[in-house]
Amino acid sequence: MLTYIVRRLLYSIVVLVAASFLVFTFVAVSGDPLAALRVTPNVSQDTIQKIVERKHLDDPIAVRYWHWVQDAVTNKFGTTLLGDRRILPDLWRVMKNTLQLVIAAEFIALTIGVGVGVYSALRQYSFFDYSGTTFSFLGLAIPVFWFALMLQVLDVKVFQWTGHRVFPIANLSSVDPGGGIHFAIDRIHHLILPVFVLMIVNMAAYSRFMRASMLEVLNSDFVRTGRAKGLPERKVVMKHAFRNALITIVTLSALNLGGLISGAIITETVFSLDGMGLYFVNSLLSNDPYPVMAWLMITATAIIFFNLVADVLYGVLDPRIRYD
Amino acid sequence: MRKSSLLALVGAFAVAAALVIGPAASAKPTKVMAGTVVIIHDQEPPTLRGAWEDNNLLATSLVTNNIWYGCEIYNSNAQFVPRLCTSKPKIVKRSPLTIRFTYKASAVWSDGSPVTAKDFRATWKVFINPHNNVVSRTGWEDIRSVKGTGKTVTVVWKKPFADWESYVASGPYQAKAIAGKDMNQTFENSIPVSSGPWKFQSWQKGVQITLVKNTRFHVYRPMKFTRVVFRYILDTNARFQALKAGEGQAIQSQPQLQIADFLKDRKFVVIRKPDIAFEHVDLQFGPQGHPALKKAFVRRALTTGINRQQIADALYRTIAPGLPSLNSLIYKPFEAQYQNFWGRAYPFNQARVINILKANGCTGGPARASASNNDIFSCPGVGKLSFRFFTTTGNQLRALAFEIMQRQLKSVGINLEARFQTGGVLFGTTLPSSDWDLIMFTYGQTPTSKITSKDLYACGGDQNYGLYCNRNATALLNKVPLTLSAAQRTNLLHQAESKYIVKDVPSIPLYSRPAFTIRSASLHGPLVNPTTEGMPWNISDWTS
Repeated sequence: MLTYIVRRLLYSIVVLVAASFLVFTFVAVSGDPLAALRVTPNVSQDTIQKIVERKHLDDPIAVRYWHWVQDAVTNKFGTTLLGDRRILPDLWRVMKNTLQLVIAAEFIALTIGVGVGVYSALRQYSFFDYSGTTFSFLGLAIPVFWFALMLQVLDVKVFQWTGHRVFPIANLSSVDPGGGIHFAIDRIHHLILPVFVLMIVNMAAYSRFMRASMLEVLNSDFVRTGRAKGLPERKVVMKHAFRNALITIVTLSALNLGGLISGAIITETVFSLDGMGLYFVNSLLSNDPYPVMAWLMITATAIIFFNLVADVLYGVLDPRIRYD
Repeated sequence: MRKSSLLALVGAFAVAAALVIGPAASAKPTKVMAGTVVIIHDQEPPTLRGAWEDNNLLATSLVTNNIWYGCEIYNSNAQFVPRLCTSKPKIVKRSPLTIRFTYKASAVWSDGSPVTAKDFRATWKVFINPHNNVVSRTGWEDIRSVKGTGKTVTVVWKKPFADWESYVASGPYQAKAIAGKDMNQTFENSIPVSSGPWKFQSWQKGVQITLVKNTRFHVYRPMKFTRVVFRYILDTNARFQALKAGEGQAIQSQPQLQIADFLKDRKFVVIRKPDIAFEHVDLQFGPQGHPALKKAFVRRALTTGINRQQIADALYRTIAPGLPSLNSLIYKPFEAQYQNFWGRAYPFNQARVINILKANGCTGGPARASASNNDIFSCPGVGKLSFRFFTTTGNQLRALAFEIMQRQLKSVGINLEARFQTGGVLFGTTLPSSDWDLIMFTYGQTPTSKITSKDLYACGGDQNYGLYCNRNATALLNKVPLTLSAAQRTNLLHQAESKYIVKDVPSIPLYSRPAFTIRSASLHGPLVNPTTEGMPWNISDWTS
């Protein structure tokens, strides 16, 4: 197992280097961080040229990439291209915010999705199963941005009709969030709508996968054997069937979580949440490759890590799988 | 559920709770304060260090202009009015240009120390220091000396400098707050003092900046609110929904279709006004442009074939009905010096376009204007009148403006090919490369940008990406920055535009973009200010 993990980690370094170079190249050639300055009154060509020279903007991509690598390694992901602002403090801030959103959404989606999937499988073709299937397809089919927008519109309508604001429309906290438990309650209040949006999509997927997986296991020989041996149905379902059916979900949720660390870009944008997704979008729009690169390194590492976790868990849940 | 599973669940909850509560551990519970006004804005400043190369943003100046308060500030008509100064700065000598102004005795910093010449001198030093990454040294580096120890400041320029007022009017840094500091790292997240109506209190990154009343501000009426909060909501829809939901009381907005909803809502007041920023189409004179654009008759035909008023109407019928087309490249409709040069020279006339082209030997186009026309003119020696038209992608108003122009010109035998690009590519690569035929974008300007019109329309101008060059116009435009008399400057600019620029058509003005302020009906005072002072310029007059 240890050899397998070390081998995977070594592969990961190669993947990270290759990914970082490709992304740096794409960002660097796709726009000019000085674009806004070029149409700003009173900014002379001389000023722009000095910035170009100071920031090596007219050097070949490989040289610029090397400057970034040096800066990132020696200076904790370095600074922004213009303004020399440190990148890491901003990234930590937005990552904490994203984790709050993602962990809450994933936890709820997993709990409900797995529950609905298992129950649907146990009561196949029942009213509950059909309802679950319908809602799952609906959840998968609804575009996230539209759903989020509709919730905001509904929230505003409720406010206009009743004079009471049920949920905040945007942002992570109120004007006066207070501290300690007040802050936590205020934050949870602000996260309800975005978590709900994110949770619906994931829950729909998890419930479908769980149902299919559970049905497959319930119809397998070892479950039939267990029942023939006279094991209580509860034990057959929970101890034998459920554990085996979980393999798919564990893999899926681990991969999903890795991806979500990069930020739920649409959800964070629509609700103006100061998270990884919005940070990425803003960095990309400013054509500054350095924050984009820092973002990429963190998200790529998270994805690689959670992939590894999924593979390891796969072996833990299914004793037939060996990594030697 | 087994005990280990339960522990895992509790653990997951604990992690989530720690992430939520963690940042608040040091915060103290507070109640929502009375006397707070919340302004929702679409962009968060990267730092509070304005006029720096990474931060020449309206979002920053909205916060900092009322902290680094000016000797004068721009009012809602883009005219300077004294604030920290006792009166308007005066020219005491024309050669060398010497300006004198005096800060009011009541002009003090929030820490109680007086605002003095020392502060202005320190500010000048910041802007001329080559180590500091300021966005522009123009003007500051033309100052020879700043003298004065008390409240009176004397500034001597190296040469005649028409735009002197913008510099002496600007808000100074406090000398002792910046003494010995690396300015590239200062005012990153906070500003310790203020000479304006509000002072900095806190910044919750990604969420809001909170400013509180400066109780030592006595140079003008003090703020009636105890606190102003800038809430940052980047998504357009969410921003307007948040305003409707009462999460803020005012928005300074760019033109957005969502504004139409507020025009019908009695709970809100929408104020609109033409901005200094103006939309225009530049024409390429350089070797990489279409050869036909070097012919004056083609450029005039293009201008005559575009119904500029129809574009303004179509784009802003819903949110700013009656927005006039722009008829000057230099002055804006709200300025007294504004004259209808372009409207008089090029009234929309499709028959005339066809006559102009035919009179110059162009063939293959329609006999008369027709919406269904597919025939495109070819002109002797320059080929087909089919032009590459560049603009930014993702902007509905620009896409619509292009569509209207394309149809209008096609009906008279001129073709426009859409080349839409992201802002980064358009402004960073395409525009400076001069490899385009027509390009549409907005120039965001200041009230005194007209003084440096040479940058845009003189031969070799710094931002003359269309490579237009008329020696006579250049001679007039080059005189403007050296002319101290405002009346003489106006005369020079009028001459340059009416005699040469209008005839040469280096650029087609479309419209001054409307600027909007939306406020809840219970909040009184906010106005549109088309300058970088923005909506809070008169924060002292706001009440609810």
